[in-house]
Amino acid sequence: MDETTFMKPGNASLSEPGPNVALCARSLVKRYKNSDHPALHNFNLDVQQGEFYGLLGPNGAGKTTAISILTGLFPPDSGIVRIMGMVFRERQNEIKQILGLVPQNIGLYDKLTARENLTFFGKLCGIRGKKLTARIQQSLVFSRLTEHALQPVATFSTGMKRRLNLAVGLLNAPQVLVLDEPCVGIDAQSRHLIHEQLQDLNQRGTTILYTTHYIEEAQELCSRIGIIDNGRIVEEGTPTALLQQSGIANLEDLFLHLTGKELRDT
Amino acid sequence: MLKILATTAKEVLLLLRDRTGLLVLFLMPAILVVVITLVQENVMELTGQSKTQVLLLDQDQGELGRLLRKQLEAGSLEFVVWDEKQNDVADIQAAVAGGDYQVGIVVPNGASTRFKEETARLFQQGNGPAKPEDIVSTSLHLFVDPGIMAGLRSGVTAQLQMALTTIALEAKIAMLSKTLRETMDSLGAPPELIPLDSGKLHALFRQSILTLTEDQGDSRAAGISLYNPVQQNVPAWALFGMFFTAIPIAGSILQERRSGISIRLSALPVSPLVLFTGKAVAYIGVCLCQFLLIVLIGTFLFPHIGLPCFTISMNLTAVLLTALLSSLAACGYGIFLGVACNSYEQASTLGATTVVAAAALGGVMVPVYAMPHMMQRLSIISPLNWGLTAFHDLLLRGYSLPAILDNLGRLFLFFAVTVLLSWKLARLRQ
Repeated sequence: MDETTFMKPGNASLSEPGPNVALCARSLVKRYKNSDHPALHNFNLDVQQGEFYGLLGPNGAGKTTAISILTGLFPPDSGIVRIMGMVFRERQNEIKQILGLVPQNIGLYDKLTARENLTFFGKLCGIRGKKLTARIQQSLVFSRLTEHALQPVATFSTGMKRRLNLAVGLLNAPQVLVLDEPCVGIDAQSRHLIHEQLQDLNQRGTTILYTTHYIEEAQELCSRIGIIDNGRIVEEGTPTALLQQSGIANLEDLFLHLTGKELRDT
Repeated sequence: MLKILATTAKEVLLLLRDRTGLLVLFLMPAILVVVITLVQENVMELTGQSKTQVLLLDQDQGELGRLLRKQLEAGSLEFVVWDEKQNDVADIQAAVAGGDYQVGIVVPNGASTRFKEETARLFQQGNGPAKPEDIVSTSLHLFVDPGIMAGLRSGVTAQLQMALTTIALEAKIAMLSKTLRETMDSLGAPPELIPLDSGKLHALFRQSILTLTEDQGDSRAAGISLYNPVQQNVPAWALFGMFFTAIPIAGSILQERRSGISIRLSALPVSPLVLFTGKAVAYIGVCLCQFLLIVLIGTFLFPHIGLPCFTISMNLTAVLLTALLSSLAACGYGIFLGVACNSYEQASTLGATTVVAAAALGGVMVPVYAMPHMMQRLSIISPLNWGLTAFHDLLLRGYSLPAILDNLGRLFLFFAVTVLLSWKLARLRQ
């Protein structure tokens, strides 16, 4: 995609996904019980194969709901999700084989070692034998935890846990990787390493959907950014195009311009 | 299958890393079975299911006291004889009222002589027209602990009354025989015409004409021991411990939910049923180890602390199958708790309350037959009752596998229903 491409939100809903769309959401609606407003309201998204897409939004904008539906954690009230052309509700198991999720919470067993965590999650992905051993080794090297492979995760720093959290999400060598705030609460060194590795993965063809609160992080990593608020994407485009189109000097000001300065204490 | 095994291996590792939690899982039923069985051994005494101690103060030191002991020692009474020179009636009364002994008997001074004289007087009244004189009854004093149960009180009283009746009857027949012999001697009749020879009298009197035989059915043939607190408590508290593992199972599910692991698991190509099964397999192992530990305690430790030895009859396979299906039911309940509750605090409170209630209702603490009629009918809803009834059928009644299939079926159905409900609930939670 050209760096200056700027697509008005809502266009995605009008068309069928192209052949190169890795992740496609159409007219997603999700309403939680005891809530007056829908968490997602006519949410549309197309992420091209090999794209590094950043989803930015304030608290309560619908990021986590969108990611949960896109990764099959729960179904939408209405709408459709396609991953690599496959409809989620029809081919859930096949999709889960090629999809990786790195949740915001560190979803690891504290009492197990790094290797034991990788082994368990690897086996649940259906990997076995020498392939599993090789994947575990690659993951340990990737997360720079080879020397700590036999230590319980409980003894790890937050940075080490985040790196392992990412490595577990990559065990099945996913074609589409979804990351929910993967760098929250870690030091600059670990964040830098994670960024480098994600860029490397993306260059090797992995499609990435990345949510973050850090606008500069999105600007640094993402080839395209969508700003979500009130359950739908309110603006979308490459960082350069977004700034050029709006005439605003930086992404943070654009973000505040689009989503408002009111506190979102939801 | 690989995914189930991976989940089981992970659960086993987590259990092994939490040694304190694991120790509690094994120590809790072990301590309970020892303490409760020791306590209930005393309850068995109070209810008359073991020998009752009778305190005897024989101030008379004559034949009556000796005959009484001889009559009663063959039964379920055990005599403790107090020295009549150092103790009096007030001492024995205080000892029984204080609960040191359940029953006390005093044979008053001169009782044997009076008894003999009055018996003789029965047959010395002649056959004239005069009205028979009243005989002065020789009275023994009986003290019964007010704390013992009504059943034991009436049982002991009946045994004592029966012994006294027998002694009196023997004495009357002996006296009748003597009177007859003297009368026939005086008439010059030959000795062989006398119906009761005093030498043979005692032996003849001891012969049974009417007997009551208890038919113990299959249990005697299978070498089953009679009901005792060990045979009741070993399976009962093993079951209680097994069902208590529901709480750590629920805890592990809630921990996964709290830490975000469940989000990662939901995104993987694996069904919640596979994860539940893997978890259940690991905890079934824990439950079976608990059962084995309690059985070993009953078999090897109990005889060393003055309790009867626990015995498993020939139906070992059926016993193991019952333990396995009880474990399944316990794990199913744990999974359901973990999915249904929102926090560990909720699960532990609800789990402990329901397991204790189900144990009480199921006959773990008090046998079902000792409950009020309504509670007996309600006990059928407790999974612990199904397990315990199956164990009792095997261990006490000597039944074989086909006879307990209904209860085993209920346990399996409980597991299936709880796991399916958990699966549905997990999907609803999403």
